[in-house]
Amino acid sequence: MAERMSALSQHPPSVWRRLDPAAALGRLSESRYWMYLLLVPSAILILAVVLYPTVYGFQLSFRQMRLNRPDLGTGFVGFKHYIAMWSDKVFWLSLRNTAVWVTFAVIIEFSLGLVAALALNRNLPGTKIMGVLILLPFFLPNVVAGHMWALLLDPRLGVINDILVRLGFLETYKAWFADPSTALGAAILVEAWHGFPFFALLLLAGLKGVPDDLYKAASVDGAGPIRQLRLITLPMLRSVIAAAVILRVIGLVNSPDLLLILTGGGPGQSTQVLSLYAFQKAYKDFNFGYAGALSVVMFVLLMLFAWAYVRVSKVNQD
Amino acid sequence: MSTLTLNGVRKSFGALDVLQSIDLELEDGEFLVLLGPSGCGKSTLLNIIAGLETPTSGDIFIGDKRVNDVHPKNRNIAMVFQSYALYPTMPVERNIGFGLEMRGVEPDTRKRAVDGAARMLQVDHLLDRKPGQLSGGQRQRVAMGRAIVREPELFLFDEPLSNLDAKLRAEMRTEIKRLHNRLGTTVVYVTHDQIEAMTLGTRIAVMKGGVIQQLADPMTTYEKPANMFVAGFIGSPSMNFVHGTLAREGDTTTLKTDGKDSTTIRLPRVAANLENLAGRKVVLGVRPESFAANASEPDLTGTIDVVEPTGPDTLVVLALGGQTITARLGPKLTVATGETLGLSIHPDSISLFDPDSGNRIG
Amino acid sequence: MITTSRRARLGWNIATYAVLITLTIFCIFPLLWTFLTSLKYEADIVTQTIQYIPKRITFDNYVAIWTQSGFPTLVFNSFVVTATTVVLCLITGTLAAYSFSRFHYRGRGALMLGYLVIRMFPAVLMIIPLFILMRGVGLLDSRFGLALAYTSFLLPLFVWMLKGFFDAAPKELESAARIDGCTRLGAMIRIVLPLARNGLVATSVFVAIAAWNEFLFALMLTTSQGSRTWPVGLQLMVGEFQLPWGVLAAGGIISIIPVMILFAIVQRTMVHGITAGAVKG
Repeated sequence: MAERMSALSQHPPSVWRRLDPAAALGRLSESRYWMYLLLVPSAILILAVVLYPTVYGFQLSFRQMRLNRPDLGTGFVGFKHYIAMWSDKVFWLSLRNTAVWVTFAVIIEFSLGLVAALALNRNLPGTKIMGVLILLPFFLPNVVAGHMWALLLDPRLGVINDILVRLGFLETYKAWFADPSTALGAAILVEAWHGFPFFALLLLAGLKGVPDDLYKAASVDGAGPIRQLRLITLPMLRSVIAAAVILRVIGLVNSPDLLLILTGGGPGQSTQVLSLYAFQKAYKDFNFGYAGALSVVMFVLLMLFAWAYVRVSKVNQD
Repeated sequence: MSTLTLNGVRKSFGALDVLQSIDLELEDGEFLVLLGPSGCGKSTLLNIIAGLETPTSGDIFIGDKRVNDVHPKNRNIAMVFQSYALYPTMPVERNIGFGLEMRGVEPDTRKRAVDGAARMLQVDHLLDRKPGQLSGGQRQRVAMGRAIVREPELFLFDEPLSNLDAKLRAEMRTEIKRLHNRLGTTVVYVTHDQIEAMTLGTRIAVMKGGVIQQLADPMTTYEKPANMFVAGFIGSPSMNFVHGTLAREGDTTTLKTDGKDSTTIRLPRVAANLENLAGRKVVLGVRPESFAANASEPDLTGTIDVVEPTGPDTLVVLALGGQTITARLGPKLTVATGETLGLSIHPDSISLFDPDSGNRIG
Repeated sequence: MITTSRRARLGWNIATYAVLITLTIFCIFPLLWTFLTSLKYEADIVTQTIQYIPKRITFDNYVAIWTQSGFPTLVFNSFVVTATTVVLCLITGTLAAYSFSRFHYRGRGALMLGYLVIRMFPAVLMIIPLFILMRGVGLLDSRFGLALAYTSFLLPLFVWMLKGFFDAAPKELESAARIDGCTRLGAMIRIVLPLARNGLVATSVFVAIAAWNEFLFALMLTTSQGSRTWPVGLQLMVGEFQLPWGVLAAGGIISIIPVMILFAIVQRTMVHGITAGAVKG
């Protein structure tokens, strides 16, 4: 007994420590499972707020759910929504528009981004500040970007109309967003403005990783700037380009924000894309089941694209 | 008494064995160098001794206490890292004293210990600086100060000099040796630099593929390497290997080299057991400095391929049939490429290896 | 030979400046024009001939947006949602990033990829169930609920970006700290976090800007003035009140000022963090 007492009094700090929550966490951190424990809080959050809703969303696409028509109930309807989609003209139109929207936006953004990155990578005096200013649009909110451009392209007081008329490209002001033949193009311009800095950012970082010696060797071998771009720069940037394109395509397909603000899908359905259509089905019509089915189709198509793209760029690499 | 004992220490990541049953016993005050190429498992072994990694199986004893489940801080060790691992946000004084601080040592006592260590390593004028403001050599000294201030039972060094330039490295090597002589603490020192191993170690463990190839004092390792790997890894330029077949001609043993333009090398004074090896295929190992120019009674002759004067001596690459050897000869040697050169071999410095296993046979 | 190459280089330099100046104008002009518009009287905006340089300047538009609508409330809500999002990301994301950066264990690669794949889920697919879910637990139309939603889809970016900053801190530091007597948690808090301070700030700012700007989730998950954020509020004002251009421009300028300030402060570290993740992965 006395022995135990003295043993206790010899180690008061350890007894004390056992009661201290910080020390308890510290001891926990020495456990073999610490690396997994560190993931628990974020995993719970992701499971609850992303994974569960997503699974729920898949399931929703097989159910009837219209918040404004509670009389229809919320029963399972099988593939009803998917079958309805097959004969839904707007769905096919928005599928086509999505393809046009994503393809042209990515091509324009990539080209502008590459040009910007190449120019910035020359590190000429005074270009650093331009590098910062060029990145700015990427960080601006869609809501502000949308209205800014709506003002610039306004049919009555848009400054771009004014400039184009003064330069002789246009005879009169044009209602860009009201004309079905120009609405999508105008929206792509706005998106390019908003998105190209992202490409510039990533490509510039990629360029910094290309060893200077390669260019020196190439110019000693007599390769001019164009050939250097084709034979050195682009191949060296391949993985960065692949990553940037994938990320951007995901962003473009998934977020209807800009079109929602600029055109709302109109005029008619001329700027309707899948994500926007699904959102409007949910937000305006409260037809959650159909909206769910639309987003599932979108997700599957996106996955297929990502898979194919990664395969193709891998094959090219070999 | 032994400071450190390893019994069958094994480490594997999945199917990959990084360490295969390591046994070691270290006496008090020894300076053990773990030497090997990158990926040989030497750093993993050091981390296991430190308690930063856990072995898959086997036991580690520090003193007479089994420390497998003991936290690094309670193993009574100190470690110096390759990148120095100085805490960038703390001034030098706190860096050195941090271990004492974490153990609840009184500020006054701590200050005295830190000052003592700093003075010993001549960094006492830098105590207020942040690591970022120090030169490479100074950081190295601070890192060592941090290790010695705690007066541990065992020092662990993980390639501490590999981030320094050649001149500083030589200087710090001397410093570490001086420190070891003065403190007498047991050291385990990991490096891939064979010169550090030779100059610092009281014993060297040469490692490859997670296995200790040879554990011996530096001179034994150098003169009697246990296998061709050890022989080739230690010494620069490395040991010459000549593949051939042993033969007996009267009193002398000769080696008939393999290859198209076969030539014969006379082996001076070989061990008795070699007489039985006549007709056997072997690899002859001779260190470059064990050759001497000898025109009158050469043990071997070859054609000069390249001549490399280094100042203190001249390296001569000699074509010997289809094989080449490098000889370290005296300075101011007047020989030219294409000439024939006769060499004699120092009798005590011949190694013979089995060509299949690479192990030493005589 | 030398003169031609010098002439060629001069040509490329001129082209470089021309490209960069054009792109800069392309990027900045809309902002500049919006700013000028916000300073104009409505009569000078809606005119026959466009005024490039305003003849007279007024701050009425700023006064109008700030006093006549619920804009201050909207901004305050956005601020609360943004701050909550950043705090949630900091608590959960820092731990996850640390785990990914510091330890090598079975399933680590798959888990990291899993965190990233979450970004691929269409917002719309998540939004509908989230709406139902949040309505069920009473988090619909609440600032905390919105912050939770933001955290979930910003967390992967936060983790990947921060991991890059943690990776830059040598692992040996923790080993040294553990030998010096720290626990793993102690080494993380005392040694690594202070070292990754800039990265933590930059990553937080990145998440803060994204949360501040977000529109779609806010539109769906908030229904009243009590929790509505400024992007939704501004958008609804445009629809409901036929907001005059000058006032709208002023609202836009006010709401991007915090973004611009934050961007200016940590621009370099943030850019570094975004690109490090993408270039490596």
